[in-house]
Amino acid sequence: MTAVALSRSRPVPVLRIEIRRSVVLWAVPLLLGLFYFDSFRTAAGFPPVWTVRSSVITSHMIADFGPFAAGLAAWVASREGRRKTGDLVATTVRPAWARQASALGATLFWLLLAFLAGVAAIYVDTALSATWGGPPLWPVAVGVVELVTFAVIGFTAGALFPGRFTAPLAAIGTFLLAEIGFHGAESVRPGTSTYGLLSPASNVPLGDVGVFYHVAPDLAIAQVMFMGGLTVALLGVLTLAPVVRVSYRGLLAAVSSVGRWLCVAGVALLAAGVAAAATAFSLAGTAKMGVSGWEIPALHGAASDQPIPYTPVCAGTSFKVCVHPAFSGFLSSANTALQPVAAEIAGLPGAPVRAGQVPSGDGILGSQGMNFSGVPKPGLSGAPAVYRFISDDGLAPLWGSSAGVDNAGWRAGFQQELVTAFVAGPPQAGPGPDTFVTQPTAAQQAVITALMIRAGSAAPQFGEDMTNGAPSAGATPAQIAAAAQRFASLSPSARHAWLAANLPALRAGTVTLAQLP
Amino acid sequence: MTATDVQKPPAPAAPARWRAAPGIRLIWLHWRSRRVPAAVLALAVSGGVLCAALRLQWTFNSGHFAQELPMIVEGGAAGIIVITTHSPFGEPERTATRWLPYLRLVTALAMTGVAIGILQLGVIGASLDGGILVMARNVLGITGIGLLTSLVTGGLLAWILPMGYVAFAEYALLQSWTNPWTWPVRPPADRGAWLCACAVFAVGLAAFTIRGARTRLADDD
Repeated sequence: MTAVALSRSRPVPVLRIEIRRSVVLWAVPLLLGLFYFDSFRTAAGFPPVWTVRSSVITSHMIADFGPFAAGLAAWVASREGRRKTGDLVATTVRPAWARQASALGATLFWLLLAFLAGVAAIYVDTALSATWGGPPLWPVAVGVVELVTFAVIGFTAGALFPGRFTAPLAAIGTFLLAEIGFHGAESVRPGTSTYGLLSPASNVPLGDVGVFYHVAPDLAIAQVMFMGGLTVALLGVLTLAPVVRVSYRGLLAAVSSVGRWLCVAGVALLAAGVAAAATAFSLAGTAKMGVSGWEIPALHGAASDQPIPYTPVCAGTSFKVCVHPAFSGFLSSANTALQPVAAEIAGLPGAPVRAGQVPSGDGILGSQGMNFSGVPKPGLSGAPAVYRFISDDGLAPLWGSSAGVDNAGWRAGFQQELVTAFVAGPPQAGPGPDTFVTQPTAAQQAVITALMIRAGSAAPQFGEDMTNGAPSAGATPAQIAAAAQRFASLSPSARHAWLAANLPALRAGTVTLAQLP
Repeated sequence: MTATDVQKPPAPAAPARWRAAPGIRLIWLHWRSRRVPAAVLALAVSGGVLCAALRLQWTFNSGHFAQELPMIVEGGAAGIIVITTHSPFGEPERTATRWLPYLRLVTALAMTGVAIGILQLGVIGASLDGGILVMARNVLGITGIGLLTSLVTGGLLAWILPMGYVAFAEYALLQSWTNPWTWPVRPPADRGAWLCACAVFAVGLAAFTIRGARTRLADDD
């Protein structure tokens, strides 16, 4: 067997050598340190919901790994140019694309290994604390494709422009792209920021995303198509690199030296990649917000819009507090917080017999003018009345701490929302072009404060809005506090009787502070 | 035929202007060997990117996020500076001249000053969160990290740790860390942050001046 035959028949040892001597190994400890401080700790601070914690893969892990992937790949690709050994290795039997493929493969091997180890760490930690659902795979697919794209961008830069500054500039450039994408994602609105939608970064998701409704894979498909298209196009550029470097006069000679079929393959890769990326870009431009997240009509499946069936977990006897099984770790805290105030208002007209968790998406998106029919609204409604709360308002402060730890401030706020919904009714929008939620009246504030005090909580804080120099609520905080103390000092039966007789008027806002007993 | 016959003619003497200032010529040759002109060009591009980012609203105007993009550019500038620590001559250069430590010192100081100046030029007329104080502190401190890194990895790979620090500082920024050693997240006049950044720069500069960047590792990848 000749050396030529040996070299052509055994590409794997070259890859093995590249893997063993890869410069990425030097950066792996740094990458893992960044992963722990940024991605892992951030994920651990999110609620133990699979879809929420997996969002860290694309929003944080890519920012941690991507710039280094680009910089190190550029460093590896510029090796021949940096050492000025291009002519030397050109005389070997192995073609340029095979050498580059081995170098890129070894770089990707370590990068993807470190990346997937990080994903595994997040998923194992989530599995230990999650009470419902399973690991989503789309974020992993998007993350892997994006990491490969970052590396190929750097590799292409290093191969085409070998030099000592290429590697850091590739790292900085991709870091900036990720940062600009994050800026776009933070302010993304339908049809306004396609780049923000396609960028790896994303907003911090709602705490219950993917719990009540499936997360539609539409945007993930578009992101994979866009990044994959870029990658394929850049691989085509790499294949054609020897051709594009020469002048027109030397074009034919360059084509013959590269190989006609390889040139055809390069052009085909370039065309296919550009077509895929352009298609994904145009698809993302049609995205609109739906109940299951970003929906792209051409890719959307109606099944994503159907609620996921579940059986709530509940606590309490006469007054039940129920949460989604994904949040069962927070049930004890929610039940302990709501039972005292529920007992204070039990038996009154319109008093809730149950508190249950509903999807938070509607509440947040509703404030942006996007409401979806058929989704339960937070607040007090129904007969018998049910108090509905959302995880982002009710349970969010418990994220990142053990579920059994109660926080006095959180408990008071959670209780205040229920009592306010009972005493003052649904939030009212203020007049004028600038929409705001009006404060409860002075009498309502006094009753809410009294009920909270009787339930063993601290007096709630209301904003002191002023209209034309006078308190909007109709009384000063001191007057309200005095009235609340007076009302709270009544016997439970007297307070109950007064509320039973005057609750409709109190809710309508026709009771003044002076009319409180 | 003897060896004398095939010897090349001696190199022409240096022009008269260089003879008048041999020190300047030495510095210029040192800078050329370190690709300092290309580094200044790269710094100018960085300043342009920062200028474009601020003027075209690629980033946030206020709040925690406002410091993120400038910090990346400042870290990139530090990365470019430390790349100029790489010598193409290796060991022979160290044994050939006694001026090398001074040349290293001058180069590192000059590049740091040029980087701060160019970035400041880029943000004239724009609103840079934290102003020039935070920018100068970041460039100083992160350059110090890079100079220290170059002692271990060599100049060509010395950008890795500064970039890692920038990535970590982005996290510290979002988490509102207050440690002085996370100086990018501290207010402009914070004394602890200035002490940390200047100390790292001083240690890095001193170590680099005395020892120089490692010459072997970067070429042995």
